[in-house]
Amino acid sequence: MLMTGDQYIESLRKLGTRVYMFGEKIDNWIDHPMIRPSINCVKMTYDLAHDPQYVDLMTAKSNLTGETVNRFGHLHQSTDDLRKKVKMQRLCGQKTASCFQRCVGMDAFNAVFSTTFEIDKKCGTKYHENFVEYLKYVQNNDLIVDGAMTDPKGDRGLAPHAQKDPDLFLHIKEKREDGIVVRGAKCHQTGSINSHEHLIMPTQAMGEDDKAYAVAFACPSDVEGLYMVYGRQSCDTRKMEPNADVDLGNKNFGGQEALVVFDDVFIPNDRIFLCEEHEFAGMLVERFAGYHRQSYGGCKVGVGDVIIGAAALAADYNGANKASHIKDKLIEMTHLNETLYCCGIACSAEGYPTEAGNYQIDLLLANVCKQNVTRFPYEIVRLAEDIAGGLMVTMPSSIDFNSDLEVGRNGETLAEVCNKFYAASDTCTTIERMRILRFLENICLGSSAVGYRTESMHGAGSPQAQRIMIARQGNINAKKELAKEIAGIK
Amino acid sequence: MICGVRFCGGCNPRYDRGKALEKIKEQNKDVDFRIAEEGETYDHLLVIGGCTNCCASHCQFSTREGLTKMWDEKHINEVLKKIDEIKSKEKAKQNIK
Ligand SMILES: Cc1cc2nc3c(=O)[nH]c(=O)nc-3n(C[C@H](O)[C@H](O)[C@H](O)COP(=O)(O)OP(=O)(O)OC[C@H]3O[C@@H](n4cnc5c(N)ncnc54)[C@H](O)[C@@H]3O)c2cc1C
Repeated sequence: MLMTGDQYIESLRKLGTRVYMFGEKIDNWIDHPMIRPSINCVKMTYDLAHDPQYVDLMTAKSNLTGETVNRFGHLHQSTDDLRKKVKMQRLCGQKTASCFQRCVGMDAFNAVFSTTFEIDKKCGTKYHENFVEYLKYVQNNDLIVDGAMTDPKGDRGLAPHAQKDPDLFLHIKEKREDGIVVRGAKCHQTGSINSHEHLIMPTQAMGEDDKAYAVAFACPSDVEGLYMVYGRQSCDTRKMEPNADVDLGNKNFGGQEALVVFDDVFIPNDRIFLCEEHEFAGMLVERFAGYHRQSYGGCKVGVGDVIIGAAALAADYNGANKASHIKDKLIEMTHLNETLYCCGIACSAEGYPTEAGNYQIDLLLANVCKQNVTRFPYEIVRLAEDIAGGLMVTMPSSIDFNSDLEVGRNGETLAEVCNKFYAASDTCTTIERMRILRFLENICLGSSAVGYRTESMHGAGSPQAQRIMIARQGNINAKKELAKEIAGIK
Repeated sequence: MICGVRFCGGCNPRYDRGKALEKIKEQNKDVDFRIAEEGETYDHLLVIGGCTNCCASHCQFSTREGLTKMWDEKHINEVLKKIDEIKSKEKAKQNIK
């Protein structure tokens, strides 16, 4: 059953998710002005799945049930599915100009599906069967699942078992007949509060000493012992201002990250997908990271499309649109953005079937994709700031633009003064110009910069993580042979 | 005549696909355009892509008179021509009967 966006919001109201923010428990987090924009982003992934103009990307036929499901819950059955995933993410980025939070779950599904198959083959466990049943439940109910990998990690120089505080990596605290009890936390969890379920994976490859940390499982977001602490974003409290609109830049949409704490949470056997088989932790991490590095070749490109459009409008409104360097900067932004898309499409087109049957991306190309994502969005926003001019960070508030307060010698109001001095091209009103500049402020250095900049840097792994994979996959020896052949070296 | 319609997913369309369909509909008030669904059989299927790739899936739909793909606003005239052709064919069939 495909839920509508409104049904999704209502389904969240039925959950008892525990959320803390600014030192308080937030009971009605669904309507909280700081949280709601991020929920609207997830809602968009439901609404688009009902719109005939987007259905071809937003839905797929489940290989598990034969039913039409939201593509975010789908196991990729071909390279065409992998390409459509990237296109869907671009679309969602265009419609929200934010992180829409549903990719981590999709990437986790595909990674856990293929990894559990291989664990069972080697260890005789039944994790794959557990996971298939779980995914059917997710697909049938069109649920949002947070794919949770990143642990707090404490001292980065120490392995999980060597940390002073064992809880700095999520671990199995107790094994029981009917399940396990887990303790620890997951950091930076995108959309965790907006999720019905959590799918937990280990954060890195593990050795024998770390086997208690080699654990993967699923649980409802409101399971006993689980709670979340909302992560604040730059300029976030603007959303709490009365009648906040123009100053927000992106009034309706935004991202969300939280700390998710597992305070002795019981996980029944049928929701366990890895339990101490430490030699498979690395495989799971590598597969998830591979998919997630592909994802960024779609979602950030969609957001980039909106930024390029905003920069072009800012140039129109400023009256600088005919300048050759402005045109060239827009070309450069487009070139960078489409290069990211090329990488997303390329690693998808070169995908291959796993032993379990779902399709995996080409790992080298996906890592190249994400490495570019750690750089190009920064250059894109640099160029956007160049085109926008300084006003994007110095203009008065929208209250001033609407104020009746008389401030001039001849009784001019604040609104009149602001509108007089910030008028530019005849092609727009002053408020329209403010709107586009505030949008750019928000994405370049406001709350949305979390998703477009820092998430581009660290999400799916920091740049060095990709360089390690590129080094492993780069096929240097074959390249040496090519050079020897051409140079006549025996 | 019933014409099924399938849009591509619209990740980066180079024109307004929805408006293009509206223009086609305006010229064909006698044709019943329906968003294509599996299990139905249409007289014709119109696949509206947003770019040259025109990646919309369509093999799952059945039609009596094949399909037409468009991926550019400029294709509207060709689509109109094709629909006219099918309509005349249908008329001819009815006259024979
Ligand atoms: C906006 C945002 C959203 C995110 N969403 C999710 C999510 O939904 N799910 C999820 O699981 N994770 C998520 N992440 C987490 C992301 O995967 C991590 O940020 C990333 O793996 C880096 O980890 P870290 O932030 O702890 O940085 P650190 O590990 O502290 O890295 C900081 C720097 O130290 C270096 N470093 C760290 N350890 C070592 C070492 N041992 N040796 C050498 N150098 C080292 C790194 O290369 C980097 O340069 C998100 C992150 C962000 C910023």
